[in-house]
Amino acid sequence: MENGGIELHIPDGFIPISQCIIYYVILIVALYFSVKWARSNLDEKRIPLLAVLAAGIFAIMSMNMPIPFGTSGHMVGGALVAIVFLAPEAAVIVFTVVLLIQALIFGDGGITALGANVLNMAIIGGFVGLYTFKYLKGIIGKYPAAGVAAWLATVLAALACAIEMAIAGTFPANVGIPSMVLYHFFIGIIEAVLTVIVLIALDKFRPDLLAWNNETKGDA
Amino acid sequence: MDQKDTYLIVVAVVICIIISCLSPYIASGDPDGLEKSAEDAGVPEDFSIEEIKGIPDAIFPDYAFANDPDNQVLQIVALVLGVIATLAVGLGVAYVIKK
Repeated sequence: MENGGIELHIPDGFIPISQCIIYYVILIVALYFSVKWARSNLDEKRIPLLAVLAAGIFAIMSMNMPIPFGTSGHMVGGALVAIVFLAPEAAVIVFTVVLLIQALIFGDGGITALGANVLNMAIIGGFVGLYTFKYLKGIIGKYPAAGVAAWLATVLAALACAIEMAIAGTFPANVGIPSMVLYHFFIGIIEAVLTVIVLIALDKFRPDLLAWNNETKGDA
Repeated sequence: MDQKDTYLIVVAVVICIIISCLSPYIASGDPDGLEKSAEDAGVPEDFSIEEIKGIPDAIFPDYAFANDPDNQVLQIVALVLGVIATLAVGLGVAYVIKK
């Protein structure tokens, strides 16, 4: 197993500390809003759901699957969490926990790069995933919408990562952007399939846990 | 927590343990998207744009035991410990926020 994989996990040393600080500020602001969201939206049954999604994302990230060009990739799950809760804030909390454990205990993803990694996987992944899903579900149905949303979330998170790498000076945009987008075009397909499978399973066995089934929660 | 939620946690942990048992054997060892992109751009392995000091060593670097990194059974142990840690921290954080 060689999943010291950095995938979308930016390691320490790829972003200068001065820029890491900016991403940490973004993380702190995101956590402020996410904690506020959690206080009013998490309940006895959504707390275990949040923890279970964190554990599942930790596990699935170890499963690198082959894609073309001698590259591999694994599911990330930012869109999934945001769609399950209909809230990107949930993804911010889940990914802060998962990425902290991966960085501190397993050396996967940098401690200094935590802010940038949460930005890509949870904030960009979560927002793009949720709002693509919301926009498309009335047009193509909720599962196809979730699949497209998860795919787009992966590709745009990769694009963001490539831009961050260019700003950092680690690798230039003219190589980084085409490479990252090309590889994540395929990794996104894995993301889409697994996101839809998890949503179908939850809807079948625990429909009460999906925010889209709870009209009282509002704008599903 | 009612019985349905306990059941959810049990099922999820079982699925996570199955994934953890399979990963060391079937996960692809090919470089992943960011690694490959860095390679494409000619970024050397162990690249660092500036020296960063004081980063503690990981307890289980690359999801393995540092003294026996190729031992796949120990990789499973590391992954399962990670799953349990993530679940516990996730529950703890959520309860603390909610309190």
